[in-house]
Amino acid sequence: MIQLRNIQKSFGNQLVLKGIDLTVNKGEVVSILGPSGSGKTTLLRCINFLERPNEGEVMVDDFTVNSKQASKKEILTLRKKTAMVFQQYNLFKHKTVMENVMEGLLVVQKSSKETARKLAMEVLAKVGLTEKANAYPVQLSGGQQQRVGIARALALNPEVILLDEPTSALDPELVGEVLEVIKRIADEGITMIIVTHEVSFAKDVSDYIVFMDQGEIIEEGTPTVIFNYPKEERTKRFFKRINREAGILESNLSSVI
Amino acid sequence: MQIDILFIFTALIEIFKALPLTMIITLVPLMIGFLIGIGITLIRIRKVKGLYRLANFYVSFIRGTPALMHIMLIYLGLPLLIDKLAGTFQWAFQSTSIPILLFVLMALSLTAGAYMSEIIRAGILAVDQGQLEAAESIGMTNFQAMRRIVFPQAIAVALPNLCNIFIGFLHTSSIAFIVSQKELTGAANIVASNNLKFLEAYIAAALIYWGLTIISEKVTALLEKRATVYNRGGVA
Repeated sequence: MIQLRNIQKSFGNQLVLKGIDLTVNKGEVVSILGPSGSGKTTLLRCINFLERPNEGEVMVDDFTVNSKQASKKEILTLRKKTAMVFQQYNLFKHKTVMENVMEGLLVVQKSSKETARKLAMEVLAKVGLTEKANAYPVQLSGGQQQRVGIARALALNPEVILLDEPTSALDPELVGEVLEVIKRIADEGITMIIVTHEVSFAKDVSDYIVFMDQGEIIEEGTPTVIFNYPKEERTKRFFKRINREAGILESNLSSVI
Repeated sequence: MQIDILFIFTALIEIFKALPLTMIITLVPLMIGFLIGIGITLIRIRKVKGLYRLANFYVSFIRGTPALMHIMLIYLGLPLLIDKLAGTFQWAFQSTSIPILLFVLMALSLTAGAYMSEIIRAGILAVDQGQLEAAESIGMTNFQAMRRIVFPQAIAVALPNLCNIFIGFLHTSSIAFIVSQKELTGAANIVASNNLKFLEAYIAAALIYWGLTIISEKVTALLEKRATVYNRGGVA
């Protein structure tokens, strides 16, 4: 179980997270939606202390880290329990696909080369990239690179995978393959927290939706409730705008076709 | 005056014997300078309190003065300091027992450190921050992430500059002749004055330096090819 208690974060004078509480149960997929600048990504980065919160606690699997007292060692322990998938993939460019996936296993988990290689191969099979094992990141498409990013996270068998806008940097035609991989992992019962702009994907994959605006959670609940019966005005407006954009896109498409 | 072409070859062979010393005066400072450079870079990138300004001063001073001055300042200044300390603490030790070569190596190491720090810094800054974050996000310590992820790429980026500094220091090593080191230039000077054939001897020395430079350029090209394998043949 992952629990965030009163997470606050400010950059300079600007308070970007105003005390966030969130509980994610084991095996759940939680999507965080909201307009840009609402603090979604910052919240995600606070969970593994890539951004150190000014206030609050993060608990992962009964291990609690307090923002005020966190030691380097505690932060490392927390990070070993989590993994992250980045918007810009952030693959290790000087390492092959295989080495990217093995890196954490070798260095952090101290696995033997043999075990790491075997596990890496298994995970690469899951994201459908076994034949690219010896390629370097530059030789892959964006979608393939992001799938490696997912494999790298998955290999560590973390308590939770944090996905930070995993498809935002991709060409539209490559979004599908990445979402499909994420969906497949979600079905395996791996706990995930996803920051995304893909509303229909979030609806499809999530057990729970969190809607944020201006550093606060405005509304949360199951996808059915949030998407069909949003209570808050800001949530309604957000969905209306998304729907309108989707509508425009569709009408544009139909006019082309 | 006529040029004695044949003597150039004779001189070449004679001067070439001084190559090991030139290599020592080139490589030892570069290696020590590399370590100094890493230290300085880390201090400057992390803005370590207290040391940060010292590091900036060091780089500014060294890069702002000729290497010859570094040799002179160390060669003339350090013995003074050592003898003063020896006097104060009653050491049975005198600066004259220190070989001059050691002063040269010390001075040039300091020179190299400042230049190296700029090269290494540029290399490290060229590696995107995201990879460091990715490494830390999977639980690597900052040290592990720097050593395993950032540094190898930084060095690959810095390789052409490292080659340049090698060539630069190969040529700079010639000023050690001022404090009577018998490296290539020192040897050329001796051959020249023994035979009173100055131009020939210096032509020979120049040819040796040029040859060494060409070889190091070739070696760098090879190294570069290997170090940046990951950056080529991409489709993205």
